[in-house]
Formats: sequence, C-alpha cells, structure tokens
Amino acid sequence: MKATTIAGHKMVLHPSGALYWPEKKTVLLADVHLGKAGHFRKNGIAVPRKIEGVFYQKMQQLQNDLPIRRILFLGDLFHSDKNNEWFLFSAWVKQQQLELILIEGNHDIIPRQQFQALGITTVPHWEEEGLYFTHYPEERESLFIICGHVHPGIRLNGKGKQQLKLPCFFHSSKQFILPAFGAFTGLHLLQPTPTDRVFVLTSKEVLELPPKT
Amino acid sequence: MTSIQQWFKTQGWRPQPFQKQCWEAYLAGKNGMLHAPTGSGKTYALWGGIMAEALNQKAAPKGLNALWITPLRALAVEIQQATQRMTSDLLPNQKIGLRTGDTSQAVRAKQKRTPPFGLVTTPESWHVLLSTKDHQKYFQQLQVVVVDEWHELLGTKRGVQVELAVAYLRSFLPHLKVWGISATLGNKALAQEILLGKGTNHQTVEAQIQKKIKVQSLLPKSMERFPWRGHLGMHLLPQVLRIIKKNKTALVFTNTRAQCEIWFHRLLEEAPDLAGHIAMHHGSIDKKIRLWVEAALREERLKVVVCTSSLDLGVDFSPVECCVQVGSPKGVGRLIQRAGRSGHRPKAASTIYFLPTHAMELIEAVALQKGIATQQIEDRTPYINSYDVLLQFLMTLAVGTGFYPQQLYPVLRATFSFQTLTDQQWTWLLNFLVKGSQSLEHYDEYKKVEVLEDGCYKVVHRGIAMRHRMTIGTIVSDADLKVKFQKGGYLGTVEEWFVAKLKPGDVFTFSGRNLELLRMHNMEVIVRKSKSKKTKIPAWMGGRMSFSAHLSDLLKKALFEPDEEATAEFRALAPIFEQQRKESIVPQPNQLLIERFETKEGIHTVFYPFEGYAIHEAMASLMAYRISLLQPISFSMSFNDYGFELLSDQAFDPQAFMDNNLLSGEHLMEDLQKSINISEMARRRFRDIAVISGLVFQGFPNAPIKSKHLQSGSQLFYDVFKDYESDNLLYQQALEETFDHGMERGRMFQVFERMAQQTVVWKSCSQPTPFSFPLITDRIRSKLSSETVEDRIKKMYHQLTQDS
Repeated sequence: MKATTIAGHKMVLHPSGALYWPEKKTVLLADVHLGKAGHFRKNGIAVPRKIEGVFYQKMQQLQNDLPIRRILFLGDLFHSDKNNEWFLFSAWVKQQQLELILIEGNHDIIPRQQFQALGITTVPHWEEEGLYFTHYPEERESLFIICGHVHPGIRLNGKGKQQLKLPCFFHSSKQFILPAFGAFTGLHLLQPTPTDRVFVLTSKEVLELPPKT
Repeated sequence: MTSIQQWFKTQGWRPQPFQKQCWEAYLAGKNGMLHAPTGSGKTYALWGGIMAEALNQKAAPKGLNALWITPLRALAVEIQQATQRMTSDLLPNQKIGLRTGDTSQAVRAKQKRTPPFGLVTTPESWHVLLSTKDHQKYFQQLQVVVVDEWHELLGTKRGVQVELAVAYLRSFLPHLKVWGISATLGNKALAQEILLGKGTNHQTVEAQIQKKIKVQSLLPKSMERFPWRGHLGMHLLPQVLRIIKKNKTALVFTNTRAQCEIWFHRLLEEAPDLAGHIAMHHGSIDKKIRLWVEAALREERLKVVVCTSSLDLGVDFSPVECCVQVGSPKGVGRLIQRAGRSGHRPKAASTIYFLPTHAMELIEAVALQKGIATQQIEDRTPYINSYDVLLQFLMTLAVGTGFYPQQLYPVLRATFSFQTLTDQQWTWLLNFLVKGSQSLEHYDEYKKVEVLEDGCYKVVHRGIAMRHRMTIGTIVSDADLKVKFQKGGYLGTVEEWFVAKLKPGDVFTFSGRNLELLRMHNMEVIVRKSKSKKTKIPAWMGGRMSFSAHLSDLLKKALFEPDEEATAEFRALAPIFEQQRKESIVPQPNQLLIERFETKEGIHTVFYPFEGYAIHEAMASLMAYRISLLQPISFSMSFNDYGFELLSDQAFDPQAFMDNNLLSGEHLMEDLQKSINISEMARRRFRDIAVISGLVFQGFPNAPIKSKHLQSGSQLFYDVFKDYESDNLLYQQALEETFDHGMERGRMFQVFERMAQQTVVWKSCSQPTPFSFPLITDRIRSKLSSETVEDRIKKMYHQLTQDS
C-alpha cells in the first residue's frame, strides 16, 4: 500500500487496484466488469469460471487490510446484461454492511432499478469535498476528476531492452485515473508527460515511478 | 480415354507420359498423388481422368461429381477456366462452378439448388459447405476430391482442415477417390500418406520434369555501403532497375506486404517512366485490382509486378522473363517455386536474381545455389493434435447436421493429425463444447453445443451458429486489420504488426497511396489521404520463417568449405570477414563461437550455432533459463538463422557458464519445457489458436453494440488460462506446438550432440562484430527472467533516475 495526496486529500493506493480514502473510510473501485466471464460463456466462449470468484477474494483482502464503510464504484461494475453472476453479486451485497454507490459507466446496461433494489445508489457522477467522481475521464475547471474507464497501463523500459507492461494509477494535474479492478480486463497503455505521476501495481506492491524527464 | 486423347489432338497437344499414367490410374479407381511443377499440364492430368470416367457412364452425370481444392483464390479462377474449357468440349451441358470467399450469395444459392458437375473451391469454403444441413445429399454423387498444391497446405493448419474434411466425406462416401497434386517435397511418402490415408490402393505419379534454375546473386559494386543488418535491400535498387530494363517482364518477390509496398514506391520514384507498366500484388490488396494485375501480366500489358507470396503459386504467367527475390527465401523449395514463375518455355532455364538485404545473406546465396544444384528440397512438417482446428470442425458439423461422437471418433482417429487422440482428450473436447468446462457446475449458463435426446451434438442457438459460420476460414497467420477512410470506404487489410509501430499522425504507404493514420479502433485502422512525401517505414522484422534444416546444413557447408571463398559472393564478403576476424573469429566446423561485448544497451552474449531460426529460438530460451538458475537475472533474447543473443543488464560469468556445463544435452526436454513455460514463447502461438478455436471473436461487419461486449484479445485469454486453467487443452496446445513445430524436437538432440563435439570459443570483443549485428538490432524479442517484478521495477527505477 502506498500513501499519497490527491487534490489535498490523503489517499491510499492498494495493490489490488483500489483507491482508499481514509478520512471517509471509502474504497473506490473502477471497471470491475462483473459478469464478463458469464457473458462470454453464455455466448459459447469458454472462459474459466474461476474468474467469477476473483472479485470476492480481492474484496475479502481489502476488508482485511482496511476499515471500510463505503464503496464507490466508478462505473462498468457489470460487463453486460444480467446473468448468473448477478445472483452471486446480490448474495454478496446482502452480506455487507457497506454503503454502495455506483457511478454509471458505458457498460452498465442493467436497469438502475435493479441496483437500487439491492440498496445500491446509482448516480451519473458524484461530488464530494471538491472531488468529482465520474466514469469517463473528463475535464472540469474548478473540480478535480477521479475516474476509470481507461484501464490504464504503462510500459517500462530498462537496460538490456527489458520491458514490463503493468497496470497503474495515473495522476495528472486535474485528473486521477484508477486501474481496472476486474480480473478479466485488458490494459490501455498511456504515455505520461513530465508532470504526470504514475503508480504501478505489482501483485504485491504499489510503486511510484520517477518523473519522466 | 480415346476421347481425351482426341481432345488433346484438337488442341494441338500431345499427352505426356505422366498425364496418361494419371488417366489410367484414375480409371482403375485408384487414389493417387501427382508430383508435378506448375505449368506442366497437371490440371489436365487429373481432369482428363475425371472426364473419361464421366464419359464412360451411360447416363449423363447428375449432381456434383468432382471437388477441386486449391489453396489460393487466384488459382481457383485459373482452374475453373481450364476445366470448364475441356468439359465444354466433351460434356457440353456440364458446368464447373467456382466457390471462394469472393463468390456472391446469389451464385452460392444457385450452386446449392443445381449443383455443377465440378466445383473449384478452397479448404475454408469446403468447410462452409460441410456446415450446411443437407451437405450429405449435396455430396451424394461425388466421385473424387482433388487437392491441388498439397505441398502448400501440408504443414499448415489448413492442411489439417483438408485431412478432416477428406476423412469425414469418406465416412459416408466409401468409394470416394482422393488425389493430390504436389510440387516436389523432401518428405514425399509422408505427404502422400497424410492426404490419402494408410490404404494400399494408391498410385504415385512423377512428372519427371526438371526445370533448369539459375540463381544469380546481385552484388553491390563496393561493400562499403552494404548494410550489416537486413532491412529493405534498397541499396541494390539500381541493379534491380537494370534487370527490369533488360527483360521484357519481371516479377519482384518480397517477403512481406510492407516490403512490397515500399519497393513498389521506390521503383516508381527512381524510374517514373515505369508508371503504367508497374503494379503491385499482395494479399491485402483489393480483389479486383489483384485480378486485373494477374490478367495484365498474362497479356504482357505490365512490365514489372512487385509481389509477395500471393503470386508464388500456380497461376501461369508464361510471358514472365525473370524473377528477382528480395531477401532470403528461407528455403530451397520456395526459391525453386518462385524461380519457376519465369521462363515457362520448355527447356528454357529460369533465372532468379537473389538480392541479399544484408551481408550475411550472401552466404545464404551460396547455400541456396548448392541446394538447387543438388535438389535438396525441404520437408514440410505436418501439424498434429491441432485441437483448435478440430474444435472448429466439430462446431462446423454441429451447426449443420449435428454429429454423433461415437461415430465420429473413429473417423477422426483415422486422420494423420489425430491418430493419437485419446479417449480422455476426446471427452475433454466434447465437454468443452457442451459444458465449457470439465465438471458439471451449478448456475452455469454456458451455451454452445447441445446434446439432443438421440445423442446428436448440435448447435441450437442461432447467434452461436451465425458467429461460427463467420469464423470458419479464419485460419490465418497474422491478425488482419481493416484499413478504412474516416468518411467510410474500405481499402483492404493490413497485418497488425505493420501498424503496431505507427502512431496517430504518422504517414504510411498502403496499396500505393500515402495515408495518415488517424486512429486504430476495434480491429480497424482509420486513415485519411496525405500529401506528405515523408512516409514512415515500419522496420521490417525479417520473415519470421525459419531456415529449413537443409538450408542450415547448406549454410554451414558454404561457410566452412574453403573452396567457396573463390565465389563472387565470398569475394564480396571479404571485407566483412576481415572486420569479423579483427574482433573475433569466423568459426570453423569444430568450433562454437560465443561473443561477449557491452554497449549502452547492456551486456550482449551472442552464440553462433548456425542451426536456423527455430532451433535458435528454443536454444536461446533454454540457455537463458539455465543461466537464470545460477543467479537472478533478466534476459531479452533475439535469434536469427545464424545464432542468438542474450541481452542482460548485468553480466553472467563465462567461467560459471562453462563450469556448470550449461551446453549439456542432459535433461534437455525437461529444461526446454520449463523454459517455454517461463519465457512465454507459447504466447505468440496462442493467438492463432484462440482465433481458430473461436475464443476470440472479431465481430460482425457493422456490428450492433451487443457483439462488442464479446470482444477480447487472445493475450487476455492466454493469461486467464495460464493463471486459472492451465490444463486447458488449447493452452497446452500452444506449449506443444512451440515444442514440436517451432523447434523440431528430434533435431534438437542432434544439435546438442554435435555441440558436445565442438570446442567453445568465448571471445570478449570491444564492440559489436559484423556477425552479431543483425541479432543485436533485431527488435522482435523474447523475455525470460528469474528476478521478481518488484526488483525489476526498482532496477528500472534506479536506471531511470541515474539517466536523468
């Protein structure tokens, strides 16, 4: 875990790809893409079902590591239509004593009433303490944006033509992008400018890269 | 048969002995294999027999009698015209149909209603026919399947497609005859057995036509400007122009589409008077243009065509006077084939000019000349246990009539590819199709193939059937992206790596136009026209084909035999050898050279076994693995036909390398297996497998949003299987293919035995040597590391901060 400051707020970057806001005991998760494996399977593409459990294992780990009162999903919680993974998710929600808020993403095509019936608040975006939470990376004059959608990743080059591609948190002057939290999601490589801060995820740690010159 | 002879007479031809042999064998009801080069009259050798048989019947033939399979669409047109010509004269009312990916819906529907006497088609379209519900009735009258250019199909997954379709047709057409036509191969007997099966009712016919082929290297006037590293071969442009001017017509063969585009442009730039007389031909170019080029070439309306392997085969361009090969053809067989495109007049020698793109290829030129002189043509290694192709085929049957596993299993086991398929593997495949996993699971909505009450395996879901029909025929070697204008308008397809190196705003050349890349999105490359003259040339990575075993033997001979030094090629090479000797040595047969030097990129260790790309790829990974056991270290590896390079940020100790006997042949297979798992060599193989087996769906044209949710890259699947289901047969297939097809397992032992006899010469050099240059500048690399990700990042971090 790595402590950092985003727009004046103390935050913690978790190696699972979650962003934690200690003051509010809030976890932020982007692009979970639940039901993706199920959606593929329903259409005859045999993705291993073990993937379906990864989200819950990662949540367990997060809850062990941090005191959590609220989760803010930054969109693309579900990959597509409702399928059996919905029931798995509902069962999990019922066991939680958490406040759950979903900021709708482009993949969230399940009618919002269904989320609301589970006690999940759905909103197009969320504003709190000068921070503006959305799914898409947008730009606002007076507010700092925290978002997902991009599945940010970065390519690292080292001596001896070494190369690593890793998911990352991407912190630019007016924007903070979270990596995808889902297990069966790809990466979109970003090119940082000298003012961007990049935090890469290894499976165990979060490491900040030195600023690009 | 007299009527066939008569027909030949009216054409003013005399049947050749091999043609008569084929007719006789065919009429005797035999299966067979004809070995004959292009332009020898091989089509009529088979078609004459088929006609004779039809004429022997009392009643006029009904239904589809003959199926002619050819690997290329361009060829299909030729065959259709030739067979129709003979048929029209002998059986005036019978038609020969043509069915390829280019055939319109209307024509297909008509072919279905009234089947023609003969049908010329490709393996993919053949499988599409098998996916129809009434295909058994459609093929009821079928007498023969002719597989043309079998040598091209064998050794590819399309060859496995052919094996499967032949075995399947035979299961309900027991008297079906199967004939193959093939150019000369190293492993003729095996090639025949794979296509015809193990039976005894087979006839082999040899055309016995030896063409004289001359290979002439193009040499630069001075070696000073001759590049050490392969690229495009542009330094020899003036020589090529001179050849073009001297000959009436010429074909310029390149190894990749990108290279083809660039050569076309540069030739035109250099000699503007060629405008209107020069054209380009490669697989991504629009069909209409391709057909026009082919026709124009035949009618001598074009002087020069720059092409890729798209013009390798069949199509008879009698007027072509000479051929130029740019860069290594990687095999004797391919060079013979390309040379055969020219000088079709009987007994005329075909000349092919070989244009080396870098210095080392000059040695290849000598090796190729030797190989052609001694007719050392390579083997084609067939694929075995291609589960991806089998799954695709099972789906093809399941979307049509459906299939019964108990009946189908023995049919599959009779093919060469699946002769060792076990009951367990068969059960796995069926489970994969029906359940999407190997155990019965609760709350699973997996849907693909359903088992009907009578035990028939069938696809019921329409969307799944539709998606499958679209993926039949996606056995391609590289992912193709569609090139489109921003305002709409389709230009063709381009291989992924070609654009992978480009950034938005870059200008590149495609189908003769300069285009600016706007963006890439969902397998589409969006472009607009550009006036900019400065086009970006994606560095050519060199054909990723390996040298054949033959060619690497020939290469060693050329390099090691001192009398060769008298040849023009070696004279031209002398300055480079001299430079090599300054820093290092030119190894002798009893020496294994290893060079070590440092550049700002890191520590380079270069090995030169001269065994061909495939072996080197495996050896690089094996050596890296063994070294990584001695210390935590990360390697980036490159390989070519001469050797391989291990690049690292820290040096490993030569003494430790020698003392630990890392070149040993002991535990060879075990270590290789481990190195494959770690280095992820199999990752590249998996891309094809994911597409063929239907895991990766590339979307419908003009797809509704729905199918977008089903798109995913093969790399993601590879990771998922690796992490969550490593016993998946498709994942295992990727590893096995790397083993078998990539590295020729059997040969690997021989290589290590030979190395055990050699003295290792370890040279520390102050700078890169000429031999090493193509290797260290190659950007396609494999990786292997025994360091943790965290350590590697911290090191990169450290280097970054030091640099700044």
